[in-house]
Amino acid sequence: MTVREVASPTRPVTPPQTPETSVGKRPAWLETLGRWGAQAVPVVAAVAAALLVSALMIAAMGHDVVTAFDSLLTASFDTQFGFVATLHRWVPLTLFALAFTIPLIAGRYNIGSEGQMLVGAAAAAGVGISGSGLPAPVLLPLVLLAGILAGLVWAGIAAWLLDQFGVNEILSTVLLNFVSFGVVLYTAQHLWPDPVGGFPMTDHVAPAAQLPMLGSSPQFHSGVLLVLAVSILVILAIRYTVIGYELRSVGANPRAALIHGVSVRSVAIGALVVGGALAGLAGSIEVAGVQGRLLEGMQSNYLQLGIIIGLIARGSVVAVPLVAFGISVLEIGASAMQRSAEVPVQMVLIVEALILIFILIADILADRITRRRAARAAVVQKLKESSA
Amino acid sequence: MNGVINFLELAIPGMVAFVLAAQGTMLGGRAGVFNVSQEGLMALGASVGFLVSYKLGGTFGTNMIGLAVAAAAAAAMGLILAYTTTILRLDQFVVGLALFFAGIGLASLLYRVVIGIVPQPPQIDTLDTIPIPLLSEIPLLGPTLFDQDIVVYFMFLLSGLLYWVLYRTNLGMKMRSVGENPRAADAAGISVTKVRFWATALGAALMGMGGAYLPMHFSGIYTDGIIAGRGWLAIALAFVGGWRPQYVLLGAAFFACMEITALELQSSTVIPVEFIETFPYVAALVVMAFIFRRTQVPAFLGRNYDRESRTAS
Repeated sequence: MTVREVASPTRPVTPPQTPETSVGKRPAWLETLGRWGAQAVPVVAAVAAALLVSALMIAAMGHDVVTAFDSLLTASFDTQFGFVATLHRWVPLTLFALAFTIPLIAGRYNIGSEGQMLVGAAAAAGVGISGSGLPAPVLLPLVLLAGILAGLVWAGIAAWLLDQFGVNEILSTVLLNFVSFGVVLYTAQHLWPDPVGGFPMTDHVAPAAQLPMLGSSPQFHSGVLLVLAVSILVILAIRYTVIGYELRSVGANPRAALIHGVSVRSVAIGALVVGGALAGLAGSIEVAGVQGRLLEGMQSNYLQLGIIIGLIARGSVVAVPLVAFGISVLEIGASAMQRSAEVPVQMVLIVEALILIFILIADILADRITRRRAARAAVVQKLKESSA
Repeated sequence: MNGVINFLELAIPGMVAFVLAAQGTMLGGRAGVFNVSQEGLMALGASVGFLVSYKLGGTFGTNMIGLAVAAAAAAAMGLILAYTTTILRLDQFVVGLALFFAGIGLASLLYRVVIGIVPQPPQIDTLDTIPIPLLSEIPLLGPTLFDQDIVVYFMFLLSGLLYWVLYRTNLGMKMRSVGENPRAADAAGISVTKVRFWATALGAALMGMGGAYLPMHFSGIYTDGIIAGRGWLAIALAFVGGWRPQYVLLGAAFFACMEITALELQSSTVIPVEFIETFPYVAALVVMAFIFRRTQVPAFLGRNYDRESRTAS
């Protein structure tokens, strides 16, 4: 057994198996629905518990709980601007969470999505500024590609260190984040500095390098659709392709995967590099869709949120976009909460950490209940056999 | 000569945060618990230590209280890690990451709640140096080693103490055996759970203290992001030091020298200042590439012990 094998987030919660009901003649769709329900119960309970504890904390700090929660949970849906802001937050969060989750499925931890995004953003801004003569159909794909490639290379450094020198990827990815801050500052202050800005940021990218806006006021950028497509592609690739199968097998049991001819080394490298590419894409979308330039601090706290989302989704790429949406709602709600109830915006990180902790605990409880039921069923079985 | 003395005078206090956090990492790690929440626990320690000291008056005495409370707060987080990994057997990295976020969030939230938004950040006294009589008169060694603040002395004493406990006492042998082979330790009547609890909590306390030292040494001001990756570097340091207290101390000297060199070089014009600031991190990556395969690591590092498990490990 290695460290990787005991990684619990990739382990799905086995639904309680009651022998009596599985023998019954329930239709298949009801079975599936029941299984989903059994998986949803601990999640819902954990979120409720986390919100309850947060409510107590908010009350203890002397703020109005009802006003605070009203803002926190509904700000995204009250106005169209709120909804568009939520979508725009969902884009990087989904990509960051995928950048964390894909290596996690193979049992690797990518804590460097922040750095991968920033070098991606720097490359995208560089291409977007220096290619200002090109038409949009050429320039925009180049901008997106530049971000992807830069993120890929940045994660590739960590993957190379892991493969060649056995350097723990948690450390290498996270230390590269701090190196990327230097890259951002250099790009923003020396290569393409904004001539007027007093803050470290680059000049604007060419209009042809920006993502087309969709919808009527308020508009949202087409990166939303792009990320939707990317999420679906990732889900399909992981569930239905050989590569996806190998990825999952390496995470589940590297020794068995190795014996059956899977190259564990290249799967680990590939997973990290693909994660980096997705984080790099997040960088180029932020440049081409939201900011229109590279600026210091544009990574916000996406790294932490991406990891929280990935851990809440417990390694399920299907759950990632949904959880990311929920977290986006909380993030947008947090600033509304600060305005309406004067609860500091930092409170939202506590709420999210609590959700994660309660979900982990719910996992344990569900596991114990399953085991206890199985044990009880075994006893019942034995009694039946002995009485027969 | 004066240049060397000046450099070392700066570099040795620079070691403190690294040494305390890395010895804390080492302590938990030798018992098999791989804590990855340093960055968060140090931030929490910095915030709590600063706030306690500031509210009590911001003097030397209150700084000491601040250090103690910071250690206690981080130890409480360490107990969460110990409980969830030994009793509940959750994955150590997952809980560690969760505590990392919780620590960063709590640190920032506490500061906001207690201080609020103010135009001028409040300030506490920084720690004064306490020259040791006679010893501080020695040329070169005197001003660099024996004319420092109290936490620097504590750092050296602690490292020596940890070495002595780990390698010269029965307690230390028990602890190491839990990190190397918990099944054998369990069979020999050592409580794996108890050892892991103590080692993790004490280790976390050291991390909190290391964080609290930063505002007390440098500027007397707490800001979010004050840890600036030192927590992650401390993990790297634990690996570089081969999870041994004596080498961790030596490695910290290297890390602190990198940090001070980066500060000193900022006025140079050859290398852009943006890249000089990344110096400590790049150096850590390069060093890790060289030592990672050669370094010795506790055999059960990062793995939970399940006494009822039937597999050999």
